[in-house]
Amino acid sequence: MGADTDVGSGSTRTGEFREEASRPEGDRDLPLSERITRNPGPAATWAAVVAVLIAAEFGAIVSGLLSVPPWGWVGGLVPGVVEPVAALLATVAERGAELPTITSRSVIDNTGYQTPSGWEGTTLGLSPAVAWALRVAVIYTYSFTWLLVGWWGYTLYRRHYRIPDWTPRDDVVNRFRRHSWGLFGLTIVFAFVVMALFAPVLGPTTVDQNIENPYENRIDYYNDETGQVESIFVGEANGDTQSRGQGDNNVGPLEYDQYDRFHPFGTLPDGKDLFTFMASGARVSLLVGLTSLGIAGGFAMVFAMLTAYYKGLVDLGVVIAGDSIQAMPQLLFIILASFVLSDTWIAEVYNGGLVLAILFGITGWPALWRAVRGPALQVSEREWIDAAKSYGQRPRVTMQKHMLPYVVGYFLIYASLSLGGVIIGIAGLSFLGLGIEAPVPEWGRAVSAGQPYVATQSWHISLIPGILVVIIVTGFNALGDGVRDAIDPESDIGDGGNENVAAGGGA
Amino acid sequence: MGRWEYFLKRVLLMVPIVFLGTTVTFLILRVGPIDPAAAIIGPSGDTEAYAAIRDSLGLDQPLWIQYAEFMRDLLTLQLGESWVVVRGQSVWELVGVYGPRTLWLGFWSILIPIFVGLPLGFYAGLNPNTLADYIASFGGIVWRAMPNFWLAVIFVSVLTQSDALFGFSWGDWLVETQIVTPPDLSGLWEPTQFLGALKAILPAALVLGSASMGNEMRIGRTAVLETKNANYVEMAKAKGVPGRLVVWKHMFRIALIPLIPVITGEAFLLLGGSVLVETVFAINGLGYLFFQATINGDVPLVGSLMFLFILLSVGINILQDFLYTVIDPRVGYDGGA
Repeated sequence: MGADTDVGSGSTRTGEFREEASRPEGDRDLPLSERITRNPGPAATWAAVVAVLIAAEFGAIVSGLLSVPPWGWVGGLVPGVVEPVAALLATVAERGAELPTITSRSVIDNTGYQTPSGWEGTTLGLSPAVAWALRVAVIYTYSFTWLLVGWWGYTLYRRHYRIPDWTPRDDVVNRFRRHSWGLFGLTIVFAFVVMALFAPVLGPTTVDQNIENPYENRIDYYNDETGQVESIFVGEANGDTQSRGQGDNNVGPLEYDQYDRFHPFGTLPDGKDLFTFMASGARVSLLVGLTSLGIAGGFAMVFAMLTAYYKGLVDLGVVIAGDSIQAMPQLLFIILASFVLSDTWIAEVYNGGLVLAILFGITGWPALWRAVRGPALQVSEREWIDAAKSYGQRPRVTMQKHMLPYVVGYFLIYASLSLGGVIIGIAGLSFLGLGIEAPVPEWGRAVSAGQPYVATQSWHISLIPGILVVIIVTGFNALGDGVRDAIDPESDIGDGGNENVAAGGGA
Repeated sequence: MGRWEYFLKRVLLMVPIVFLGTTVTFLILRVGPIDPAAAIIGPSGDTEAYAAIRDSLGLDQPLWIQYAEFMRDLLTLQLGESWVVVRGQSVWELVGVYGPRTLWLGFWSILIPIFVGLPLGFYAGLNPNTLADYIASFGGIVWRAMPNFWLAVIFVSVLTQSDALFGFSWGDWLVETQIVTPPDLSGLWEPTQFLGALKAILPAALVLGSASMGNEMRIGRTAVLETKNANYVEMAKAKGVPGRLVVWKHMFRIALIPLIPVITGEAFLLLGGSVLVETVFAINGLGYLFFQATINGDVPLVGSLMFLFILLSVGINILQDFLYTVIDPRVGYDGGA
């Protein structure tokens, strides 16, 4: 990878984005905003499409962004001035959540009951199955539209607004575009992220109603014997819709229960809806996984820069620290540390998710660091690093500007591989009853709950979560392969030694 | 730097690693937010017993003395005794009971994938881009992505009910064995005992070896593809060396070097991942013992076991360096660690 401003070599390239018609020569030194003002057409079209997409989900986006900070806590910090503002923002967040969006549960409602004359309560009188499928289709269409619009925006930028007509990154992107295995991985990973992001609206019912507070919520159903619509606690209804293998005690995938609730993945042994559980569990897995990756990645990158720049004793010190951590089996270390921390305040943050993320981060960085150490060492030997040093550039700036960009790509490969591993690891711990606390959904707990029923008609409880994990981990691996081939088609990194990064400590 | 000098340096490097790892364990157990004595005694707080435990663990002494004693005991291999799991039993005796099962499991979960994965990889590499190659390669990828604990759950359920599902009883096949039970490791020199112990561990070993089986297949495939057109292979073929011999004599060796980290990595996974597999198959090995010791708050046992695990992983690392030094003459400090 050469310097990014190496425009001259563009002439030897053949690419799809070579047509330069709308890029006048005079634009070269202007800032991006100026370049857009000169040629507003493509940018305006793109912005209009983005505006439509945002409008379709406006309420959810506003409330999503505003409900992240803990407003009560912020307000309490500086009473008087900040408090009313914080309260106002909290109200805005709540109101925003009430605004209808195209993916709201209320827009396409799948909860209802069947009377002899047809479905009541669902949108347009559709059957719950169809209504639910429609909502899922809308959510995924909407999300993949974002993906396409993002790509379209990138190509517009490349064609109309970027100053150099070719950069080395273009080759990377083009190689990835032709890598069908990597694209397959990207699709799976994106679908998983959407599942996590839209978890509350994807399920046929909600976590609050069905899983966490079933005895505080009621549903209506049509009683065939009395011929009337009656109401029942969700908890009681769940008691009648258990999947326990024998006899009538089973609600399998794509089946209705006797209260006319549709269960795309069937029910859990305690009668709760498995799909809702899985969607919410995806959110937990992804959040914990990404946080741990952030921690591990931060350590790994800082250490990689330091060891590549200073070498010698610094390198030796990090080797010893990393090896010491890796000498303790990861899963056992996490089991031990989470037991030790179980009674502290930190174990309560996000139902134990934060502790897990920190522990996976602390134990995960040596593997990541090893993966990027080689490329970091390589780049530190280049002439431009020497040049930067002899110009008296500060070490920090050299590392950030001249070394880090080179290593980021390699980091992404292993990040993708190890995220799959962390997801498996979290599931393994919750399978043992550790980690994320019940009743917060976590995939491993579904496998554990279904364990006695695998070879019965209630096979879905254990099998579906496992199959989903296999698909998602395969997706992350494929994405990693694709990124690797795109960055460095000649390399064989990822074969051999570091394969076990993807194995989640053996879970 | 000479090869053996480099190797010696690597071995010396292991000393601070053992030291640091053990120190971290001490910090977690003694300085962390749990009170070891309270953890041992459980919620039924009895002040006298509590004081006795504090006294015998030396918890009232200054921290640095505790640290010195902790390190001294472990480094001289005085591992102490269990307080909760099997009260009063020495840790060495416990390891003597639980350890062999984990070793037996580990041995087979390393061996079986090699004998299944490599030949499959060779086959795929000799027939590249055929349907069989695609099936084998894709199967390897999926097989690798399966969570071990989930695979174990499936195996247990299918095998315990194999009679009803396939009309074939796994439990009665060849020798009668239980599926969810520790393997009987007595009298292994007798054929039936050996077969029984092997059969009992086979599903668990397959599960634990699943990740490396996929890797080994890939290595085998790459090795064949890389060497198929090499001059010395062409030469051997021209000389009339039979195809089978070409594969095993010339291609197999190339596959050996990348195989080392996979095998040692597998041994690492075994240390950590055996918790789940041993729990599902009820093998009662070291991983299971560690898990029980942890959730029961048996702090002394946990510390000693963690120390043993650190020693084991360091041993595996040394073994890996040794194998590299013996097999690959190119290894040196410059070649990358």
